[in-house]
Amino acid sequence: MNSSSLLSRRQFLQHSGLATAVAAAPFILPSGLRGQNAPSKKITVGLVGAGNIADSHFGPLLGSPESVRLVAVCDVDRERRDEGAARVNKAYGNKDCKAYADFRELNRRTDIDAVFVCTPDHWHALVAIDAMRNGKDVYVEKPLTLTIQEGRALVAAARKYDRVAQHGTQHRSMKRFHDVAEFVRNNGLGKLDRIECYIPPNNRHCGATWQPEAVPAGLDWDMWLGPAPWRPYTSLGCHYNFRFIMDNANGQVTNWGAHYLDIGQWAMNADDGGPVEIEGHGEFPSTGLFSNSTNVNFTVRYANGIPMHCRTRFEGGGTSRFIGERGWLDISRNKMSASSNDLLREMQAPGKKIQLALSTDHHENFFECVRTRKRPIADVEIGHRTATVCNLGQIVMTLGRKLRWDPAKEEFIGDDMANRLRGRPMRSPWSLI
Amino acid sequence: MAEKKSSSPSPVDAATRSADRKSRAGETPDPWEACIKLEYGGDRSFAWSVREQIISTPPEGRAQVEERLLKALAQPGCTDAGRQFVGQMLAMVGSVKSVPALAPLLRDPKSTESARYALQPVAGPEADAAFREALGSLTGAAKAGLIGSIALRGDTTARYALAGIKDNPVESAVVREAATRALEYLANAKA
Repeated sequence: MNSSSLLSRRQFLQHSGLATAVAAAPFILPSGLRGQNAPSKKITVGLVGAGNIADSHFGPLLGSPESVRLVAVCDVDRERRDEGAARVNKAYGNKDCKAYADFRELNRRTDIDAVFVCTPDHWHALVAIDAMRNGKDVYVEKPLTLTIQEGRALVAAARKYDRVAQHGTQHRSMKRFHDVAEFVRNNGLGKLDRIECYIPPNNRHCGATWQPEAVPAGLDWDMWLGPAPWRPYTSLGCHYNFRFIMDNANGQVTNWGAHYLDIGQWAMNADDGGPVEIEGHGEFPSTGLFSNSTNVNFTVRYANGIPMHCRTRFEGGGTSRFIGERGWLDISRNKMSASSNDLLREMQAPGKKIQLALSTDHHENFFECVRTRKRPIADVEIGHRTATVCNLGQIVMTLGRKLRWDPAKEEFIGDDMANRLRGRPMRSPWSLI
Repeated sequence: MAEKKSSSPSPVDAATRSADRKSRAGETPDPWEACIKLEYGGDRSFAWSVREQIISTPPEGRAQVEERLLKALAQPGCTDAGRQFVGQMLAMVGSVKSVPALAPLLRDPKSTESARYALQPVAGPEADAAFREALGSLTGAAKAGLIGSIALRGDTTARYALAGIKDNPVESAVVREAATRALEYLANAKA
């Protein structure tokens, strides 16, 4: 890239509301000067998006001040970014953590090694790609991206810029999920018959109409929307609730599916592939602000004929259930059960022929890879493939017809409309380029 | 205890029925006409009906659906939300036949977002030409978005125009940066 054509920081600030898609000068500091290799050996981190999901990161990021340093917090909501920065500064007992309204400013800092992307889903790809273009490693919250097209672009950016990119599916770093996937891969259940995944319901309590509201002071609504289609502000459709709106997210299919379908993918040895057939239907609200499916029901089928079902469970939360000729295993974040104690004992026994990589701390795994430059446990390609399975479900429920999928080409076979739903044009000035 | 059935309507029921007979609610509107009058926050049931019809239309019927959408778009009284909705629908079924109707909208800053949403997935040189022609009509963020679409469409014939934009000091920084990135994208895509 010709550096003379790139925006200076001053130019960038002059066009802060308009700057193009993650337009940025790739100020890539030689790795020898960056935090991970600096004399202190500390990895310096910036956090983009300081809302609900970021809460789960403050603890781990602030918990190892000798090795990890959180130095910047960004949010388009002034209250959130100021609170986030204040929380960090209180923990460290200084005022070093800076607050940013625009992620591009944070990404341009030359003293930051890694960026945590905790924004609403419609921003994940652009923020992460911009960070990698600027030499940062990234930890991207789930779901990895809003669309299949964005996911492929994110993987391409990680490879092009040689960055570590971890998907925030922390189940991959919980031993019980690892053990189940490994047990299934070793035919511990005998011939696998099917996988059943259950996800929590979407919020269904939203009226048929809604009223636009004045944008709160301190919230940059245009920037919050970013690449998503424009709509007026309503507090019902901003923080947290964005996940129920199709313009911003794909509901619990991708939010929780990213966890429970992910373990199915792992057990199916499909981390670089995916299913070949999808069918199902969903119930979608025909009016109101929330547009994502209120009742999810779809099935993906792998080339070996094994199906993985995904359904809404209105009581009891998410789970993955593996059913084979020797019995069943049911695993969720909080518990694990099986059709017999023998299966549980066998599952935990050492010495299996196929051994899956083991991580017991998702953050630490990421930071270790930042130091060693190895691929993390939930590498971006793995995350993209899982997000794709979730998106296949969303698309099949939208269209209501059986679809065939080529996981190598990442194309639907013989369905032009379905193929068009793999991506979405972005609102100006944003773009995936 | 079984509920006692009334043998004749009560006075209240009769009054209610009378009110119903005098209702001015009118007939249910044609969803294809109602969808273009969609308002942000308003009831979107009619737009949803159109969406469901489009999705369930087999490939051989999509040309007709496309025509109906374009006809709806040309009606007076189309709201911003209505135009946005039609653009999203055309993105699913639009073809080269949409280009003549969408090209002027693509050049208009008021409608360019919806038109670009509709046209970006439409393959072919006709749509490519519409995108290139709109470069001369738009400025700022809208132009940057347009350039992004041109690059993602893989229109290598736009390289000359993009190179001119990249080096033109009159263009805003956001536009020049978009042109720079588009040229890089097209070069990599070609490679």
